[in-house]
Amino acid sequence: MTIRTVLRLPAGQPENPKMTPPRTVQPTTGRRPVLGALAIIGYMVMIVPILFVVAAAFSGGDSLQFPPESFSLKWFAAAASYKPFMTALVSSAQLAVLATVLALIIGVPAALALQRSTFAGKGWVQGLFLSPLIVPELVVGLALYQQLIAGLGTATFTALLVGHTALLIPYAVRVTGASLALADPFVEEAARGLGARPFKVFTSVTLPLLRPGIVSAALLSFVTSFNNVPLSLLLQGRTFNTLPVSMLDYVQKSYDPMIAAMSTLILAATIVFAFIAERTVGFATIFGGINK
Amino acid sequence: MTIAAQLRDVSQVFGDFTAVDGINLDIASQKLTTLLGPSGCGKTTTLRMIAGYSQPTSGSILINGKDATRLPPEKRNLGMVFQSYALFPHMSVADNVGYGLKLRKVAGPERRKRVTEALDMVGLGHLAERRPKALSGGQQQRVALARAIAIRPDILLLDEPLSNLDARLRLQMRAEIRRIQQETGLTVVLVTHDQEEALEMSDDMVLMRSGKIMQQGSPQDVFQRPANRFVAEFMGYENFFATPEHAQATVRPENLQLIGRGETLNSGAHNLPAVITQIAYRGVDVMVRATATDSTGTAVDLLASVRADSGATSRLRLEPGAEITAAIRPADLVPLAE
Repeated sequence: MTIRTVLRLPAGQPENPKMTPPRTVQPTTGRRPVLGALAIIGYMVMIVPILFVVAAAFSGGDSLQFPPESFSLKWFAAAASYKPFMTALVSSAQLAVLATVLALIIGVPAALALQRSTFAGKGWVQGLFLSPLIVPELVVGLALYQQLIAGLGTATFTALLVGHTALLIPYAVRVTGASLALADPFVEEAARGLGARPFKVFTSVTLPLLRPGIVSAALLSFVTSFNNVPLSLLLQGRTFNTLPVSMLDYVQKSYDPMIAAMSTLILAATIVFAFIAERTVGFATIFGGINK
Repeated sequence: MTIAAQLRDVSQVFGDFTAVDGINLDIASQKLTTLLGPSGCGKTTTLRMIAGYSQPTSGSILINGKDATRLPPEKRNLGMVFQSYALFPHMSVADNVGYGLKLRKVAGPERRKRVTEALDMVGLGHLAERRPKALSGGQQQRVALARAIAIRPDILLLDEPLSNLDARLRLQMRAEIRRIQQETGLTVVLVTHDQEEALEMSDDMVLMRSGKIMQQGSPQDVFQRPANRFVAEFMGYENFFATPEHAQATVRPENLQLIGRGETLNSGAHNLPAVITQIAYRGVDVMVRATATDSTGTAVDLLASVRADSGATSRLRLEPGAEITAAIRPADLVPLAE
């Protein structure tokens, strides 16, 4: 997501006319040629721009262009030793981890309550927990800026943590809730019938059922916080910047392949992250929950 | 007869809906009792109250003679099989079956022995290490059964256990549940909406409607002597009419005799002049719909099932508009209470 955000800024990338797939790679789309073709176009639209950035990152020249002038790893070295980026990287990671943990602490019990019990005003509570998805982040950011930073003099990090946590709660509630909704609602009753007290039911049945949901909610929350621009932009301070914001700052000042190199590094990290997630939980489990 | 569970004046009210309306019910020990009725009749609510998943609004429930009305499910030692099976997806089949034993602190070797026993009883000993997800619906059902049996419950409760299985498997499982019940001498309460299933499996049938018990008795009792029109209809009776002796009586479609207009069946038979309205050929039999007038002069709809190879099909002109006589032999006539 960071990569795409950054890409939007330089409008210099010309639409490449060669983007239509050459005949030789015409795939075997089985019995659904139209759907298959649409899927391929979809993937192209998503992936091809990213490939341009990755290619540009390996440039030996001084400007962001395609095709790169020559091959070099020097911009990676530059990005990795560029202090503002590295400081911001650590800040972003800290913020994302803490906000994710807080969102799960609030969101998982909320999801449990919403899925497994009925109470007056349930619809309202559900709406409340999901509302940060709908309220524009700029509005949330501005409100937090006014009340916390300008009003109460709260530290930047605290204000950012509050904002990001609020932003992530809907994901935590939705994804864990979905994983619970997919499970048979009678398994807990079955456990009680077999002799388990409520606490034992929770530890031996509910929690294991929630685990994939929690893992996927954590992954999704982390990525969402890590990539967030609007909130971080409004709440950043002089001493605390998140990585997307400092990349945005950088690209406004200078336009060289270092930004592409940094984006590529993040992309690589994301792929590793996704790979681990796939190996440990499986994408079907992770995203099966969201689609419900 | 020993009583395993007793319900006394039990009601369950949800808001302004009375799901169970002051029922009194004795569940016989070591027998298979079915709670039978259409959806919304209160049968599942009754089962869940016996299990302890919901508490009666009023009345009391005794299990083995002791008051269990406010006892949580984990303290009742009952085995429940859910319609959806409710297997623990994160545990192997063996761990599912052993779950209740572990909670009862049954030591490892003994536990494994009893898990194996329970799985062998349902014929799944070879699948002990599988995850439930890797099993077919029928196999999952058996695991759920084994899990409930393994704890040696005082009563085994089955909530529409066969409704998610295909027709062939359902027949097979009916026999199997019955076999297990008889081999182990378990007390079983089974909830179903399928009268055929109830007839085939039960020692004792309890017919429910709108939260009330309409009739309780052996399958023969209920089938041959339905107490009222509701039970009769649920047991497949058609043809409700008045005779000079009974304000309401009924006869099964296969027992309604069709003869020519002017003919009479031998002595004592009750004859109704009728006009055929519809014919449906069904292979083994022919369904004949007709309208008739009963002894009070009321028009009634009749449904007769005539064997396709019987004399009636060749002797009579079976077509809409044909005038015939519908005759009922005294032995086939079932009088109904008002």
